[in-house]
Amino acid sequence: MKLQINGKPVDVDVPSDTPLLWVLREEVGLTGTKFGCGKALCGACTVHVDGNAKRSCVTAVGDVGDKPIVTIEGIASDAVLHPVQEAWIAENVPQCGYCQCGQIMSAVALLRAKPQPTDAEIDAAMSANLCRCGTYPRIRRAVHRAADAIAAGAAK
Amino acid sequence: MIEVSRRGFLRGVLAGGGALSLAVTFGCGDKNATRIEHADRTGELAANLYITVKPDGRIGLTINKAEMGQGVTTAYMTMVAEELGVPIDRIDMKYADSHPGMRESFNMQITGGSTSTKEAFGGLRHGAAAAREMLVAAAAADWRVPVTECSVADGKVVHAGGHTIGYGELTKRAAHLAVPAHPTPKARKDYTLVGKSDRRVDARAKVAGTAVFGIDFTVPDMVNAHVIHGPVYGASPTQVTADAAKRRVGVIDVIALPFGVAIVAAKYWQARAAAQDVTVAWSKGDVHGLDTAKMAQAMRDYHEDGTVAVDQGDAGKVLAHATTKVEVIYEAPYLAHAAMEPQNATAMVHGDRAEVWAPTQSPTIVQTMVGHALGIDRENVLVHVLLCGGGFGRRAIGDVCVQAALISKRVGKPVKLTWTRESDMTQGFYRPVYAVAMKGSTHDGKVDAVAINCLSQSIALSSSDLIDAALPGIPGPIKKMVVNGLLAMIGSNSVPDMFSTEGLSNTPYQFGNLHVASSPVQNKLPVCSWRSVGNSVTGFVMESFVDELAVAAKQDPFAFRRKMLPTTGKQARVLDALEKLSGWSTAPKSGVGRGMARHFAFETEVGEVAEVEIVDNRIKVRRVYCVVDCGLAVNPDLVKAQMEGGIIFGLSAALDQEITLVDGVVQQTNFDTFPPLRMFEAPEIIVQVIESPDDPTGVGEPGLPPASAAVANAIFALTGTRLRRMPLQRAWNERGAK
Repeated sequence: MKLQINGKPVDVDVPSDTPLLWVLREEVGLTGTKFGCGKALCGACTVHVDGNAKRSCVTAVGDVGDKPIVTIEGIASDAVLHPVQEAWIAENVPQCGYCQCGQIMSAVALLRAKPQPTDAEIDAAMSANLCRCGTYPRIRRAVHRAADAIAAGAAK
Repeated sequence: MIEVSRRGFLRGVLAGGGALSLAVTFGCGDKNATRIEHADRTGELAANLYITVKPDGRIGLTINKAEMGQGVTTAYMTMVAEELGVPIDRIDMKYADSHPGMRESFNMQITGGSTSTKEAFGGLRHGAAAAREMLVAAAAADWRVPVTECSVADGKVVHAGGHTIGYGELTKRAAHLAVPAHPTPKARKDYTLVGKSDRRVDARAKVAGTAVFGIDFTVPDMVNAHVIHGPVYGASPTQVTADAAKRRVGVIDVIALPFGVAIVAAKYWQARAAAQDVTVAWSKGDVHGLDTAKMAQAMRDYHEDGTVAVDQGDAGKVLAHATTKVEVIYEAPYLAHAAMEPQNATAMVHGDRAEVWAPTQSPTIVQTMVGHALGIDRENVLVHVLLCGGGFGRRAIGDVCVQAALISKRVGKPVKLTWTRESDMTQGFYRPVYAVAMKGSTHDGKVDAVAINCLSQSIALSSSDLIDAALPGIPGPIKKMVVNGLLAMIGSNSVPDMFSTEGLSNTPYQFGNLHVASSPVQNKLPVCSWRSVGNSVTGFVMESFVDELAVAAKQDPFAFRRKMLPTTGKQARVLDALEKLSGWSTAPKSGVGRGMARHFAFETEVGEVAEVEIVDNRIKVRRVYCVVDCGLAVNPDLVKAQMEGGIIFGLSAALDQEITLVDGVVQQTNFDTFPPLRMFEAPEIIVQVIESPDDPTGVGEPGLPPASAAVANAIFALTGTRLRRMPLQRAWNERGAK
């Protein structure tokens, strides 16, 4: 099976009903995408498929086909972090950090669709991602901060 | 419990010699010789078990704690950087493996009880100061100047006369000096990092996806395992059909073990997917027939006084003659911890030795439990601590490590066991259930008597391994007698269970007459510490009750509490600041209920005001004001983050979460039935960290206990309905029903 992951072609040999999550973690070695619930309830496994936020724990790899897959490892370029990641650091968002890659993938997708989201839009887009450490207030601030940073970057 | 003292740490320092690597032996020969030999061989000054100064001037720091989000690595690196006068990024940290010399807390190597920063302020800080004094002494001797004329800056020793020399050039000479027995840490007024730094050291790796959690960890030649657990806790497989599963690609073996059926495969998903081809018949299990609804009713109906923990004055007599009296029962359910990272461990058993790599809060408890399970000495179990995706107490239990070890023993390879979310939630070790009967009276606008009878399941009775782990130096058979004797005393109600009444028996309120008793509820469903332990319930109970008494006495909740609390110190500082921060003197707007609560736990005082609305019968917590006095805040923004986290963790439980059992079967299996708060319901949280003159105290847990009571008190203020049972949303839905 041929996949497009983070801009590179990847060949994997797995049954087509294998969840994308476990293909990424075990076959490709991309462990930034996390297992949390296995039922699309927590969002820790969020990746982008064709630009949309998807729960990879319930996405069969056979259904992805040649659509581009982007994981947390693929949103930054080498040493330069994505503005959303920078905003996460600036707001001291992560505590245990386990859910944060999924949170960031949801936020990146949100900001692509809505460059200046309201609090209500953030709530709507980010409520599929659970955090047991309770970082929600900081995530909300970080999404706004990232939106401003992206807008400022585009204006340059 | 055993006091953790600075002296205890320094004993470790002095005995430790140059032991940075576990290969270095203790207690044989000249300690200085060990340190000198280490310096000659490596060029490093190994000042103690924790701190080493390298020839390139970098500082190695071994942390005997687990990072589970609370920020212990940031706090420890900040304190060490401060004492040594180096930037934080010049410190290389690693987690300590299990090591007898590192059992600094309750005779264990454990992260819990919100103890880490307090401990390090007493211990590690002095160890860093000792290293600094050795470096300064080495330079001063070289320059033939008094040490008093030398200072440190940016990793160098500096003499007033103009000499400077980098730490890296001093390591060998410093190693020849004795470790100072009474080092002098930096004065607080001279701090440049502690109390000022607001960065996390681990943020970048966590947002880049490069942080390696336990679940991400691999060792060479490792295989993966999935365990099918029975429907009832403690059920064992009696018959297993797995022929088809064994034929699947990647599957190595399917093994029936007392705790379940292990499917071992090259890859995790191969093991997990093979479960559909396994059928299992189960024994009845340890908690067959357990029904939490019946249990709650029985607890409500139990009226015998338990073992007395506190008896001040004569509460019974005062209550008997009281005119203004409140008599109520508060209740709280079992709770799962549900950390985002499901329980997992990697283990390798070889002969009479075992090695475990795990995201664990306690290497010592893992050593003890795995040692018991394998029938080997616990010192033959080497535990490597990995990054934890949340802990909250559940990772102080080594059950998943035991299971990984038993599977490894059978397959003869390193095994990584990853539990499903369903196993994480149904395999026991819950926050205990509680029913607390409260009686109180007021006279002249003040409380004059409180009598408490606290029924709860005992953490101590569930955790003989924990008690075992905490009793060092006692030979096996005698220790068994001591542990069993202690458990029998708690079980027969001969001694009070300190976990269950914490937050009640040590309340700072001066009621005049106080009676606290407790009785253990006993069944075989294991319970354990859950963020803030007993305080998670007793904070709710005491602060709801004081609110009820304030209403009965027609008093403002702040003024009422002030009459019974110390007029100086943490309680007074927090009450004053919270009243101001929350704008308490201004009435809330229409439709908003406001409630306050405070609690003292882990030596930290936290006060909270919650603003609550009820929309379509849903309790909505809109805003929480929080004031914390945790002594010196090493990293004030991390303290704020822990308050925010404690509040949201506490609100999830207060509003919606419970673990219930019907006929022995846990009814909640994933985040749909055990719902944590989500973003759209997360309140705005405004935290003020008091600039406190005191030394650091707990931060990870104390933010939680007041949250539930503040919300319940706000609901009362808004609606006149007093909710005395958590989860509050269910109590609200069932209000008025009998």
